Amino acid sequence: MSDEVGSAAETEADSEPVDESPTLYERWRQIHDNESTVAALTILGVALAPFVLVTLPTQLGLPSEYSWYHNLLTLTLIWGIFALGYDLLLGFTGLLSFGHAIFWGTSAYAAGIFSANVTGSPLAMILVGTLTAVLMAWIIGWISLRRGGIYFAILTLAFGQMIYYIFLSPLGDITGGENGFTGVQVGSLFGVVDLGRAVPFVPEAFVDSWMYVFVGAAMILSVVVGYRILNSPYGAVLRAIRENEQRAEFVGLNVWRYKLMAFILSGAFAGLAGSLYVIQRSFVPIENTLNWTVSGDIVVITVLGGVGSLFGPVFGAGLYMYVANIVSGMPVIGEFWHMILGIVFIAVVATMPHGIWGRVDWLRDRVADAIGGDER
Amino acid sequence: MTAILETRDLVKEFGGLVATDHVNLTIEEGELVSLIGPNGAGKSTLINLITRMLEETEGEIFFEGDPITDLEPHEVVQRGIGKSFQTASIFPELTVEENANIASFGAEHGSFRFNFLKHRSSYPAVQQRTLDTLEAVGLRSQKDTTAADLPYGDKRRLEIGIALASEPALLLMDEPTAGMSPEETQSTVELIEDLQEEMDLTILLVEHDMEIVFSVSDRIAVLNRGSIIAEGPPDEVQGDPSVQEAYLGGVEL
Ligand SMILES: Nc1ncnc2c1ncn2[C@@H]1O[C@H](COP(=O)(O)OP(=O)(O)O)[C@@H](O)[C@H]1O
Ligand SMILES: [Mg+2]
Repeated sequence: MSDEVGSAAETEADSEPVDESPTLYERWRQIHDNESTVAALTILGVALAPFVLVTLPTQLGLPSEYSWYHNLLTLTLIWGIFALGYDLLLGFTGLLSFGHAIFWGTSAYAAGIFSANVTGSPLAMILVGTLTAVLMAWIIGWISLRRGGIYFAILTLAFGQMIYYIFLSPLGDITGGENGFTGVQVGSLFGVVDLGRAVPFVPEAFVDSWMYVFVGAAMILSVVVGYRILNSPYGAVLRAIRENEQRAEFVGLNVWRYKLMAFILSGAFAGLAGSLYVIQRSFVPIENTLNWTVSGDIVVITVLGGVGSLFGPVFGAGLYMYVANIVSGMPVIGEFWHMILGIVFIAVVATMPHGIWGRVDWLRDRVADAIGGDER
Repeated sequence: MTAILETRDLVKEFGGLVATDHVNLTIEEGELVSLIGPNGAGKSTLINLITRMLEETEGEIFFEGDPITDLEPHEVVQRGIGKSFQTASIFPELTVEENANIASFGAEHGSFRFNFLKHRSSYPAVQQRTLDTLEAVGLRSQKDTTAADLPYGDKRRLEIGIALASEPALLLMDEPTAGMSPEETQSTVELIEDLQEEMDLTILLVEHDMEIVFSVSDRIAVLNRGSIIAEGPPDEVQGDPSVQEAYLGGVEL
């Protein structure tokens, strides 16, 4: 995928005027920039990740404590969805929110409490969680987006703190307060598929459980929806707002409404992810959902992966999860994992202006240039 | 001829400073009216009042007979008032084509109607207008260039293109040639004249180069300290002693 998905089809970035017959490189770009290719690549990536990251390293002799494990991969996809939605706001609209824990967290609580009291159907939990996040995003966006820049960031942070404390104490009887919500009852999918079970006929070397299939499907859906949004006029408008808000208003665009919509959309992705998180963990820990550090984590993940790219944030989630869950368990250095993460973050930001994905893109362009070069 | 724009007793105060002082300006359809006056006379303020970027202190503004004082800037654009900025206000990291494309979409669907799951290429009318606009401002061959990489003069042309792509009936141009080289200025002036003829535009032009003003204008309004001190065809204004007095301190125009 190109760095700027929305512009890929018609831009060729800053290349010289192109002649009519497409080079190998251009043909390749055209192929890989359409939606079914994006979907196919995502499916492939999701399908092969467990084998490549979990099974293979162990078979090659990597000690298992240094290797990925299935649940961590699932968790990475969940955070990847969260980050993908967050990047719609940060990377494509240029709005820095420090309150996205609200949407991830309230959706988690809503889905969890709903499962305990109404039904544990995973799809119903997702629906309830996502709608909750959308509603929250609507209200908080409506208020916070009246101010720009740093004020917007501070307002979202303040809302995040407020909601954290509301869930911690006044609503403690319902939410479980500092212990988190422990009554989550995840049921089976469509009443038949237990998400914890292995998938029949599929070797565990590839997929360990239905949970991974379920979350993987959500990831693929998220990528396709994200891709669609970015290639619709909407995507162009969001980038225009990022580039020059005043100009966007003066071509007749209702900037405020578009920003609100971007905020709500990214809230919806966060809600989907937060619901999946609860489905995976069967528990809503308050510190991992509504605490402001979650709002910080999602910024770090998105920037690590590369703002303004569709796939970057997913890779950022992978790197973050690896450091937070694997490196943290390593002897000697493990207890310094926060510091290690900080160093990684600084290194990436200092040396890769467009994050990990930007570097992947850059490498790919060099290779493509080498291939297409002789045809030019 | 009918008035496309009319301001009635328009006043704008910044603290104690009266930047717009009971301005009554009427622009007829198809005219090119120039607004001149010394630095700080209130030209940009008047333009910003019309676009609703600034809230007036008193008075009213009518566009095509309807009051527009309660509208938001984007709504004013939707009604048909476009603005080209004093600086090259473009979308720097997007391509030239995307710049114009966004403006076309603004005109078509700005008040938030389009489908966010539908591909951009499935709006052929918008696509066509984008290309027509780029043709009109002479940037079609550079449509794939990133806007930030254009030379300054071309950025300004793109800026004008963006204003045009939103299909205005009235185009407000605040110093479109500011910062341009003589050649760039020349070609921009020609562009403005062509546009007015071909696209049936009404233009309100703020310009400091008197040679340009006197050659392109149908009518000139002279602002000084917020009020209009003279108004009329170029030759009339040129001979007006109060204009020479106030505006140029007595120097021959
Ligand atoms: N936002 C503002 N706040 C305070 N004073 C302003 C503001 N904008 C313009 N002014 C003042 O109003 C007067 C008119 O300014 P302006 O309309 O920019 O003049 P012009 O465009 O004719 O050079 C000037 O004295 C200027 O300092
Ligand atoms: Mg000015």
